[in-house]
Amino acid sequence: MPLDTSAYSLALLRVDGRRWNELRRIHAQIRTQAAADGSSYLEMGHTKVMCVVTGPSEPGPRRGTTGGAAAGASKAAAEVAVSVVVAGFSSVDRKKRGRGDKRNLELQSTISNALAASLHTHLFPHSVIQVSLHVLSQDGSLLAALINAATLACVDAGIPMTDYVVACTAGSTSTYAAGDESADPLLDLNHQEEQELPGLTVATLGETDRVAVLVCESRVQVGRLEGMLAVGVDGCKQVREILDRVVREKGKRMVLEGTVVKGEGLEDMDLD
Amino acid sequence: MASLKRSVDSDPFAANISSKVYVRSTKSGKVQKIVREVYLRQDIPCSSKLCQSCLKATPRDAAGRPIPFVLSEAPAGTSVFTQGHYLVPDTNAFLSAMDLFEQSSAFYDVVVLQIVLEELRNRSLPLYNRLVGLTQSEDKRFYVFFNEFRLETHVAREAGESVNDRNDRAVRKAVAWYGEHLARTKAKKIPAVVMLSNDRDNLRKAKQEGIHACSLAEYVKQLKDGDRLLDMIPETQDRDVIKEKRPNELLYPEYFTMSKMMTGVKSGLLHQGTFNVSPYNYLEGSIRVPAFPKSLIVPGRENINRAVDGDLVVVEVLPRDQWKEPSTKVIEEDAITRNENPDAEGGGDDAVSEKERKALQEEVRRTHSKTTEGHAQPTARVVGVIKRNWRQYVGHIDQSSVSKSAQQGRKQDTVFVIPMDKKIPKIRLRTRQVAELLGKRILVTIDAWDRGSRHPVGHFIRSLGELETKAAETEALLLEYDVQYRPFPKTVLDCLPKEGHDWKVPESLDDLGWRDREDLRHLLICSIDPIGCQDIDDALHCRPLPNGNLEVGVHIADVSHFVKPNNAMDTEASIRGTTVYLVDKRIDMLPMLLGTDLCSLKPYVERYAFSVLWELTPDADIVSMRFTKSVIKSREAFSYEQAQLRVDDASQQDELTSSIRALMALSRKLKQKRMDAGALSLSSPEVKVQMESETSDPIDVKTKQHLDTMSLVEEFMLLANISVARKIYEAFPQTAILRRHGAPPKTNFDELANQLRVKRGFELSIESSRALADSLDTCVDPKEPFFNTLIRILATRCMMAAEYFCSGTQAYPEFRHYGLASEIYTHFTSPIRRYADLVAHRQLAAAIEYEAVGPGVRSRGRLEAVCKNINIRHRNAQMAGRASVAYYVGQALRGKTTEEDGFIMKILSNGFVVLVPRFGIDSLIRLRDLAEPEPEATFDAENYVLTMSGSKELRLELFQKVRVRVMDQKDETSGKRGAKMEFVKAY
Repeated sequence: MPLDTSAYSLALLRVDGRRWNELRRIHAQIRTQAAADGSSYLEMGHTKVMCVVTGPSEPGPRRGTTGGAAAGASKAAAEVAVSVVVAGFSSVDRKKRGRGDKRNLELQSTISNALAASLHTHLFPHSVIQVSLHVLSQDGSLLAALINAATLACVDAGIPMTDYVVACTAGSTSTYAAGDESADPLLDLNHQEEQELPGLTVATLGETDRVAVLVCESRVQVGRLEGMLAVGVDGCKQVREILDRVVREKGKRMVLEGTVVKGEGLEDMDLD
Repeated sequence: MASLKRSVDSDPFAANISSKVYVRSTKSGKVQKIVREVYLRQDIPCSSKLCQSCLKATPRDAAGRPIPFVLSEAPAGTSVFTQGHYLVPDTNAFLSAMDLFEQSSAFYDVVVLQIVLEELRNRSLPLYNRLVGLTQSEDKRFYVFFNEFRLETHVAREAGESVNDRNDRAVRKAVAWYGEHLARTKAKKIPAVVMLSNDRDNLRKAKQEGIHACSLAEYVKQLKDGDRLLDMIPETQDRDVIKEKRPNELLYPEYFTMSKMMTGVKSGLLHQGTFNVSPYNYLEGSIRVPAFPKSLIVPGRENINRAVDGDLVVVEVLPRDQWKEPSTKVIEEDAITRNENPDAEGGGDDAVSEKERKALQEEVRRTHSKTTEGHAQPTARVVGVIKRNWRQYVGHIDQSSVSKSAQQGRKQDTVFVIPMDKKIPKIRLRTRQVAELLGKRILVTIDAWDRGSRHPVGHFIRSLGELETKAAETEALLLEYDVQYRPFPKTVLDCLPKEGHDWKVPESLDDLGWRDREDLRHLLICSIDPIGCQDIDDALHCRPLPNGNLEVGVHIADVSHFVKPNNAMDTEASIRGTTVYLVDKRIDMLPMLLGTDLCSLKPYVERYAFSVLWELTPDADIVSMRFTKSVIKSREAFSYEQAQLRVDDASQQDELTSSIRALMALSRKLKQKRMDAGALSLSSPEVKVQMESETSDPIDVKTKQHLDTMSLVEEFMLLANISVARKIYEAFPQTAILRRHGAPPKTNFDELANQLRVKRGFELSIESSRALADSLDTCVDPKEPFFNTLIRILATRCMMAAEYFCSGTQAYPEFRHYGLASEIYTHFTSPIRRYADLVAHRQLAAAIEYEAVGPGVRSRGRLEAVCKNINIRHRNAQMAGRASVAYYVGQALRGKTTEEDGFIMKILSNGFVVLVPRFGIDSLIRLRDLAEPEPEATFDAENYVLTMSGSKELRLELFQKVRVRVMDQKDETSGKRGAKMEFVKAY
């Protein structure tokens, strides 16, 4: 069994060989399901998620899932309905999570709120945007991966939005109880780090420092929080770069293949 | 549909990513396959000060600080590697010879590979922690190289390769890389990179690959003081050789396999527990298992089967015909010569069917439920060891085991080491320096005990000094009880206030130190302590209130003001746990500056304190109480004797004296209340060694006197502790640090109650502490005032030990302190010398909202760990203190012979134990010492009577008063000087 997170101070290396400010390898694809309105596939290390967006469309008579944003209350804007399905094989111990699982519900409403704030839902009254997320493999930073995948799929679905909603996690190298004020902040926690160390998930609106989601479920000294948040926001910008590149590359290929016509005002778009 | 598959080529990172796959099994026995990412990189430095290229690319932490380079540019050389060398040990080297690496004479510039660290951690956590400690010490220059994360040294496991082989290959690859890497530095003298391993296969492959590699022994021989260090290489390496030599001479039965033991324990046929050796008979052990109410006896060397005191073992109950009475004989290891023949026994066990064995378990239960003394007790044999409790042992070389030739030459010789702890068997040791080590106290460790050797084999660690010198004996004692006695490291001293001894309570009331502090300097506060006490924890005051009630205050040194949570000083204190008091020495928990000056509530100066203030009615009922941080000024520091004189002297009518008198009156009422509630007044034979003031040589032994002023202080401390316990439990129901004293199991008193009934006709009732206290009061012998104390001493030995715990771990009824008959209790009043009190201080400060709630107060897991440690430290400190008194009593008696009265407190079939209250010692008198030849004796176990005939006519019984001659004697086996008693006459 490998060393635990307390070995960080020996050589400033984390359990998987990263430095404190390094993201894991992010691999993303969009338009993976041709039949869907929008779709994406995203890997952050060994965390692998898939997203399919349907809509905006007229709400059907029966709705399987509920989104937190505008559930029935207002017809003036589209409702973002998020469903998260965690595959039984996604984690080591094959635990089955039911539909009513509280953690799942919280994930769903967090993502729904975050997307609703960035998507221009007021353009689609009386409609629903269905976001279906599937977790194929879990290795920490699950919420961040889900948000990023949902953003990509929404881009693919062509829903107007202010900017990318990008997320990543941040942590700290020593536990709360160790009370070590000089602990280094960490970027992008994996499962083991998430278990052993304090951490938070932060999502920002694109390149701005505007925080869209901030979730911290572990105990950590206030003094360390600022550093963690700064590293997290910085990580979000890196994630945005990566996602943006994925979107542009896909767009470029589609124009070259003739799947889509190059839009107007995009003459300067570099197709080489 | 677009494919989710992607080709490896398209991924720019593919070469840098690997994964680590391993399988682990959970507690419930499930097997899980874990896959972890590994990011390979090239910026992991070699950390040699020679290497410029690594230095340029040093990694930095979040604050931009680079990690310092560790390995010296001019490392030491050996006779073979004259150009200097870096060492790269493999896991086995650390596992078997960690002591070597901790030497200050050699083993510098060591590269610890990540894979080695990982393996070590999985094999032994204590060794891992020691190694991490080494990597953090600046002068040893140990560097952890993360070979698994460096692109060039990462090794993937090949198909069909075992994990061990893969790890060995990783070590070799790292060594090879280091060699090439350093060669590129173009330094004048490039140090050799030497792999240390004891694995022959690994060494052979290394030679093939052209890597420098040595076995531990080869390497040590190249060093200057190789001969000395050679002794520290453990014996285990030669084990295979020994086995090959004499395969037929296996003395002990083989251990069961782990899985067989586990199944056995699960099905209830085998039992697991901690093995204890009887203090009187080294060939008899006992083991307490959860399945039965009483301990099982493990008789004989064969059945003990290589278990050492404290090991976690699995036992099997022996067939009924092998059950026996608990030994009533004294057997000491030295008395039994080396050529005793191990009686071949057993073999038929396997023939016993499962059904019969099940029935046997029932039988044990039945026998246990009805036996009193004198019946055959169930016995068991050890079938396997789950966890060894081996540590380092202090001992000395058995003179008789040394051959004449070895005393002169430097030939390697095998000798026996006799540990100080009589429960530990002799240890076989091979050494080249017998001549130097004879007559010294030495530290050794056990390496192995295989089936072919009668005694365990071990290796020498270091010498403490001549036998019977004060320094060596004191250090031996501290080592034996695991007391941390090294001076405080610099990091700890850095936490002290910068002003040093000039620190004062700030004058200005606006100062931060005065925040939320009450000014109690006007109160007439005084402290009462033993003579010469420097660390004054507590002070008291009492003043009448206008309404006729009294205000009483207990003021405790505010240690938590100086010791902030989680700094180096706090960590050190939490490890030490308690101050240890030896006769001539005090091993402090906190640095002197705090303990004896800044925290100590010395008279005439202002000090910070934590005060508990009550309003009490004249009948000592609590009207109200409150807690506050305060500033006090003690008016006087009394000794118990001084205070007593002042109280007794009617002419002293000043305010301070009358307040002590008022406290005295209140304390009597408090004590009465406690007694009515059922508090026990127990007793242990306590003595004080008087020292000559100049040389601090012991000159006399005095029994401690009890003064009323002692119980005065005690009562108010108890009251404060109980009040604080209530408060912190109320504030932190899950995490309050409390102290409990469990009710002793009924069976503990079986023997004593039986003895009292048979010998004196007293009934000992133990339903509650109240009943016990009452029945102890009735055990009086009008002719012998000491008899009652004797019974109390014996009763004390039947009690459970009190323990610290975290309130969330027990149900409220379990909080009870049996001895004090209090529902809830904690330690609050001695924060200078006990860590538990310091934690209680922090919790109380948080409870009264003086300071924020720290993690140390809230985290239950951490508190549990703290409690566990301080419980052990507390017990060790007590034992070390007692052992120190015993040593000095021995020294005080040196060359003197006195006749004293004593009492028989235990009767055996070939001897009896006498307690001499004057010196607080008990000692065994063997029948063979009474007369020559040894008198014939009949032992009536039912009535505790030993009748002798033949060479000496005598009848002795339990609790009898006898006259004994006490003299000193050097115990040749343990090397200790102790009291020896000779029987003079029976009264």
